[in-house]
This record gives sequence, structure tokens and C-alpha cells, in this order.
Amino acid sequence: MRAGELKHRLRARSEYALRASAMEEVARRYPGRSTKSELPRVGVFWRYVFVPLFHRVPWSFRRKAMRALKMTAQNWREDARRFGEPWRPPVQAHAIRSPHGDGRPPEAGNAAR
Amino acid sequence: MSERLIVIGGGGAGTAASTTAKRANPDLHVAVFSEFPDIAYSPCGIPYAHGREIPEFENLFLSTVQRYVEEGLDMRMETTVTDVDLARRTVTARNKHEGFDKLLLCTGFLWEQPPVPGANLEGLHYVKDIRRAMEFDKEIDSMKRAVVIGGMWLGVEMSGALARRGLGVDFIDEGPWLLSELVDPDVAEPAQEALEKLGVNVRMGTKLLGFEGSDGRVRAVSTSAGELECDVAVICLHKLPNTSLASSIGLELGTTGAIVVDDHMRTSAPGVWGAGDVVEVPHGLSMLPISGLTGSHAYAQGRVAGANAAGEDRVYDPVWIPWGFMAGDYTIGGFSIGETLAEAMGIPYVVAKGVGVSRARYFPGAARTHVKLLAEPGSLRLIGAQLHGGEGIKERCDFLAFVAKRGATLEDLAWMENIYSPPIGALYEPIQIAAQNGLAEQAVRRPEQVPA
Repeated sequence: MRAGELKHRLRARSEYALRASAMEEVARRYPGRSTKSELPRVGVFWRYVFVPLFHRVPWSFRRKAMRALKMTAQNWREDARRFGEPWRPPVQAHAIRSPHGDGRPPEAGNAAR
Repeated sequence: MSERLIVIGGGGAGTAASTTAKRANPDLHVAVFSEFPDIAYSPCGIPYAHGREIPEFENLFLSTVQRYVEEGLDMRMETTVTDVDLARRTVTARNKHEGFDKLLLCTGFLWEQPPVPGANLEGLHYVKDIRRAMEFDKEIDSMKRAVVIGGMWLGVEMSGALARRGLGVDFIDEGPWLLSELVDPDVAEPAQEALEKLGVNVRMGTKLLGFEGSDGRVRAVSTSAGELECDVAVICLHKLPNTSLASSIGLELGTTGAIVVDDHMRTSAPGVWGAGDVVEVPHGLSMLPISGLTGSHAYAQGRVAGANAAGEDRVYDPVWIPWGFMAGDYTIGGFSIGETLAEAMGIPYVVAKGVGVSRARYFPGAARTHVKLLAEPGSLRLIGAQLHGGEGIKERCDFLAFVAKRGATLEDLAWMENIYSPPIGALYEPIQIAAQNGLAEQAVRRPEQVPA
């Protein structure tokens, strides 16, 4: 299995487990507004190991880890302000980074970065 | 000889990309390859044409192939590209090679097919190609029962449409509440009630087990709630990026399975761009890649990719995904995340809820507008919302997505200006009410952290 496919599968499984757990939590918050789910069951590892561990790690740290592991989008300019920063006025949309600061022609592929 | 751009795909992204590229650089030779005979129609309008809210399918055609030819595009309709050779810069279609200098992939999506027995029977309908939808529409009048499978919004729209046409409709989904992958239970509840009001039998927590047929055609759907008779099964599961060509030429695919692009919609191969449902783009809040967004996202990405392929320098921003649709006669919408997704991602949040009216409360037609805002604790920056009600949901979701992108807080929204004009807006804007409620609740819970 190629690394890309493995990452794709890992993401799909982890997201599924996290979403299933969140649905149970949110259903408890809104009693009487949901029914018993017939979604495929989450595996033991994902339910009892991965999900609790995931939620123990603070969001700010998890976000940094996701960046370090290159799980977040690469070669994209983030919005004016990152999650967790105090509010500040918005900056001009395209003033943060010139995409052509490296002198590459516009048709160059993103792998060249 | 002028430079040659080949665009593969004639959906929203491909159409936008090719026309933008030609307008940006009239000297560019732009060829569009599409496996379908039509271009520039609205697939999103198909459920509403089935429901006769749009009287004629022809109304969904916004332009003709001929008009694009007159604009200088080389239109290759009903021409499937079977191979791409990046080294030789050629594509193969109808056993002929065609050279290009630049390539733009807009190959869209494929519907997820249910992995159950009987999935190859006739009478299983997927909503995509307008010609097939027009044929299906002619069959509807001779049908009595339909089963709609899948919890995505197309399923909700199709259920409402078929019920309007007088069919007995069973809507089945495995999830614990309607659209549980997208919306929270408090928003799903009125949407489900609206579908039921139209006569749709909504069966949540119901598992699809298989399709039963006779003479090769579906006659019933087997479920965990028993067998449901039907003349047609409409399948509305997930959209999967159609990456077969991209994979064949070794383009980098991301964690969603879609093509990785940068903020100029460039793929990992020089001179190759991508746009629409076949690519993944980052969510503005988490920067995690996502794919399979809306038609307006596909169109906007196509414009950016087309302009850049023509030599311009345009940037596409991370997305905050305003969304909205009709469940029967009721509107639901939102942007970014709701409580369920925030819980799943482990993102801390506070909730601000309010109910207002869409017009002055004494004005005929005023409808209740329910607003739920999610904000980051502490800074109270807006990170998501879900709304439901009557008129004005769409505009509010667009507005909220935009101001969230620019860093707005509950404090900003609580004191926002708004239009008060009895036929179109109440004195108190529902968004403002929700934000005020949220601030008041935060002041009670954590008085030291609320901005003065």
C-alpha cells in the first residue's frame, strides 16, 4: 500500500471513530431528538484507545502536531488570524505572501516548492 | 503556434476554468473534453425540476455548446479522455492523441455505491447527468413508491421532490438523526418534521441490507427495519473524487483521496492544474484538507485555475463553506462546523443561541429564524454556525462565513448594524440576538473573560 493511500485510510478511520463518538455525546445533550444509530460499529482500538487519547491532547498542541506531520494543507496561505490568537483587525487578503517571491513561473507545479 | 490548454471535464469547474482562461488570454487555444453531450446546466436544480418547482428541465440549461464555440473554445463533447502522457504532453481520446502545453483536470466526482447485494439491479438511480435525470423524470408518473438512501443533503432534496410528485417516499439512513454527518440534532429535528409534513416516511437508524429484484429490476429495499417496496431506489451517498486519470499520471493525492493542489490550484506536476470536486482544499479553521464541496466552490476554483493557467496570478483562499438547502418547505444552513463536528475534532467552543424573525413581527409572512453560533472560548471569535427557519437563511450563512474568515467575534455580531424595514427585516437581527445571548451567558459563566 502506498503512503498516500495509507494516510487516506488512516484519516477516514480516525474521522469515523471521532464522529461516531461525538454523535453519542451530542445526542445525550439533545435527548429525544435522535434514535439508535445503525452506523457500522467502531473498532475496539479506535473507540477505547484512539478517541480518548485524541481528546486528552489539547487542541492547540494537536494542531501543531498535525502541521508537523504534514496533515494540514501545504503551500496555502492561512487566513488573517490563527485559531487561539487574540482578535486583531483583518489584514488585506493577498498581502501576506507573494506566491511568486521565489521567481517561479505561475505554471510551475506545487511540488517545486 | 499558440499555447494549448486542455481542460478535462465540462462541469462547473471545467466550464469556469475554460471560459476564464480564454478571456484572460485570448491567444490561448483552449479545448474542453467532456464525456457528456451538454454543458453549462445546473445539476443542483435537478431535484427541484423533479418536484415541478422548476416547471421544465430545459430551464436548467444556462447556455449551449454552440455559444462556447462562438467564444472561441474548442468543444469536444461526448469525448472521454482515456489516457494522459505527461512526458509527451498528450491526451488520448477516441484513440487519437492530442497535444497540450498546459492541462487542467476537472474530472469531478463519482457517487459512492452501496456495498450490498443487488446493487447492480436496474431501477437504482443516481442523480448526476441531466439527460439521465430527464429520462427518469418521464418514468416518475408511472411510479408509486420510492426509497431514498443516504443521509446527505441531496437525499433530503430528492425525498421532498418525489413526495411533491405524489410518490410514497421512504427515506432511510443509518445515522441517529437526519443529516447527522453535517448538522446537529436541534437543527435536524425541524428539517425532519418538514419532510414528514410532505408525507416522507423518515426512517433514521435504518441500515441498508440489500436490494431485492425481479426480472433484473429493483422491487424492494431490504433494511434493518424490514423490506420496503419500491419502484425506484434513489442513492445519495458520499461524493468520491474521480481521480483515475490523476492517479494514472502520478499526481499527488491527499488524505481525502483527492488531488493535492496549492493556493494557485497547481497540482504536483508542472503545468497541470486541478479544480472542483476532484481536488482537496483546506478548511479555514483547521487547515485540514477537505473535498466534495458545493457547485459554487467548484466554479470559483475553476476561475482561479483557469486564470492561472492563462498566465495570471490568482489565489484561492481556504474555505469556510457556507451551505444551505431546503428540507421540504423549510430552510437549514450554516457554515464551517456545528457542535457535532467541533466535538469530533476536539475543538473547544461556546454556543450562542437566539431566535428572531425574518421581517417585522407584525408583517405578513414573518418567519422565525433560529441561529446557533459557535465561538472560540476566551476570544469569542466566530468559528461556526447552524441556522434554520424561513427566508434569509442563505444570506445569513454567507454573511457569517465571510465575517468569520475575517476574524469577527460574538462581540462584533452583538453590536452589528442591521436593516430594519418591516417587509424585509426586523428591528432586532436574529444573529445579533444570538450573539447578545451568548455574551450574556459568558458574562454569567466567566465574567473576567468577556470583552468590555
